[in-house]
Amino acid sequence: MLETKKLTKRFNGEAAVHKLSLKIEAGEIFALLGPNGSGKTTTINLLLGFLSPDEGEARVDGANVAADTISARRKLAYIPEQVMLYPRFSGVENLDYFSSLGGRRRNRTELLELLARAGLPEEPALRRVSTYSKGMRQKVGIALALATEAKALLLDEPTSGLDPAASHEFSQLLRKLAGDGVAVLMATHDLFRAREDANRIGILRAGQLSGNYTAKELKDVDLEQLYLRHLGK
Amino acid sequence: MILSIARKEFRDAWRDGRFRWAAGIILVLLGVAILMARQQVELSRVERAAATGMERDNWLNQGQKNSHSAGHYGIYVFKPVAPLAVFDRGLQPFVGNTVFLEAHRQNQAAFLPAQDATAMRRFGDLTAAACLQLLAPLLIILLTFGTLAGERERGTLRQVLSLGVHPRSLVIGKALGLGGALGTLLLPIAGVGIYALSRIPGVDAGGDDSWLRLSLMACAYLLYLGAILSICLAVSALAPTSRSSLAILLIFWAGNTILAPRLASDLSQWMLPTPKLADFDAKVQKAIQQGLDGHNPRNERLQEFRRKTLEKYGKKNVNELPFNFQGLVMLEAERMANEVYDHHFGELWGRLEAQDRVVTWTGLAAPLLSLRSASTALAGTDFTHHRHFSVAAERHRREFVKVLNEDMMNNTKPGAHGGVAGRELWEKLKPFRYRPPAFAHAVSGATPGRAVLCLWAVAGWVALFFAAGRLKPN
Repeated sequence: MLETKKLTKRFNGEAAVHKLSLKIEAGEIFALLGPNGSGKTTTINLLLGFLSPDEGEARVDGANVAADTISARRKLAYIPEQVMLYPRFSGVENLDYFSSLGGRRRNRTELLELLARAGLPEEPALRRVSTYSKGMRQKVGIALALATEAKALLLDEPTSGLDPAASHEFSQLLRKLAGDGVAVLMATHDLFRAREDANRIGILRAGQLSGNYTAKELKDVDLEQLYLRHLGK
Repeated sequence: MILSIARKEFRDAWRDGRFRWAAGIILVLLGVAILMARQQVELSRVERAAATGMERDNWLNQGQKNSHSAGHYGIYVFKPVAPLAVFDRGLQPFVGNTVFLEAHRQNQAAFLPAQDATAMRRFGDLTAAACLQLLAPLLIILLTFGTLAGERERGTLRQVLSLGVHPRSLVIGKALGLGGALGTLLLPIAGVGIYALSRIPGVDAGGDDSWLRLSLMACAYLLYLGAILSICLAVSALAPTSRSSLAILLIFWAGNTILAPRLASDLSQWMLPTPKLADFDAKVQKAIQQGLDGHNPRNERLQEFRRKTLEKYGKKNVNELPFNFQGLVMLEAERMANEVYDHHFGELWGRLEAQDRVVTWTGLAAPLLSLRSASTALAGTDFTHHRHFSVAAERHRREFVKVLNEDMMNNTKPGAHGGVAGRELWEKLKPFRYRPPAFAHAVSGATPGRAVLCLWAVAGWVALFFAAGRLKPN
């Protein structure tokens, strides 16, 4: 579903992502770990088509992102660290707008139902989002993924700044989405959530994948130690 | 998708308190400007009608006198107020509305409304045209400066583009939505304008085609505001931050509305200088005395005319002629002076029109200049309309002087300078009836301005599409 082949991106001659090859199948949650500057966000930007690769390619459900950006994006949902919404609109109005941009017009009842599925009840859904917490914004982001029936979900530090309860709730929604066949790529620093949620974990170092483990392989491993070892610490 | 974006932008604009306040202020100013202008136009028309009637009475009841004295008694003619001056007064405050017609002399229009104005005039007239030309672009800037740059800063642009929205669709949708918000604002103004115009009676000032002129004016303003909107969106798309977008757009606004009109005026005067009024008058008087070529003194020409007339009638003395030779001399002197006036006024007016053309084409650098040119031409308040009136007034003067001189020639004793005429003669002179130029004249005058505005509108959209191609999130 999500695939990169020898994906390379350089900035001022220096590789931010170097020959990165990944394959994330439908229903799989792939956690991409790595320190700041290791290339996690660059990888997501390459998958979104916001950056053009210098070498290699990125594909979403078979669509080459560089060559057919719009159609690749149509199969994606993207939830950044901070889901940004239009403050003068309510949650349901934001969802209405974004889902129509994603090519899926839905009526108000459906939208409220999607928000409820994402954990946002009707009362706050009808309020202006300027009053929303980060967790509530993330829920609108999840509802958007549900609304657009995205085949793949790209998450950039989705649980950063969330309190444990909100983070737990978010993980449950994520697993539900994966259970529905959505391929998930989650760039994160949160080792705990990565271990809890991911089917596979990759460790990125200086733009290269230095480790790629299944959940089963990590079952009895101290992930923190493994992570630090990969970083040479 | 474009409609979804447009709908969202429309709602977002109206939910923005800053826009609502600014729009409200502009709405009030526009409404007040139109209603005040309507009152002024109506008042001017009533005053003009009263003055015209009084002037006619004075002329008819001037009593008995020598017809040549009546030529110096003279008459006043009054320029009608164009109905569309309700929207755009153009040159009206600066060119005078009354011409004194008298023997021997072509006078320019006098009694400039600007002369009676207070020092507040330096801030400009509060007219609907000024509001739309100066304030509406400010409102557009306020509405659009952050529309794309702000979305980039907030991160919503990233969110929107990640959904597979084509940047071009995004900018078109935004342009439609914001254009719609502005259009909604202008609708009540159009209503007030139509009400104001429909209450102005009379056809003598071009009321016949006022609606056609108004439609074309509306098109010109839509082109102008459309161009400004697309430029603002393009700047917002390309500027790194909304703050820099605002700074760039305010510089553009100041350049377009404050700097460009003054620079264009100076440029046109530098390229095509016009003489000072005193110099012009002196030059005309010299040409009347010395002839157009400066080597043909008036007295010699009149001596030659006297010789030829006597030769033609086979007489030795003008007192032997079957008419009053003085009257014929007056006619000939008027004919000679008219040649001079035609030449000098033609040259001066041609130069003033050429200056206007320079200003209009300078609109390639600042669209306001082209809009003003098109707007005043369609409103009937530009210089070509004033020239049309001046020419008609001068034609009437010549007819009026001719009637008096012919009377002197035919109805007074040969050799006598005197003679007495009365109401019978005064009635022979028909009242001045001015028909303003036809619609085609206004359209032709507005064409260069509208052409430049079309170029701006196209350039604005090209810039917008170019900017859309470079639209990137942070």
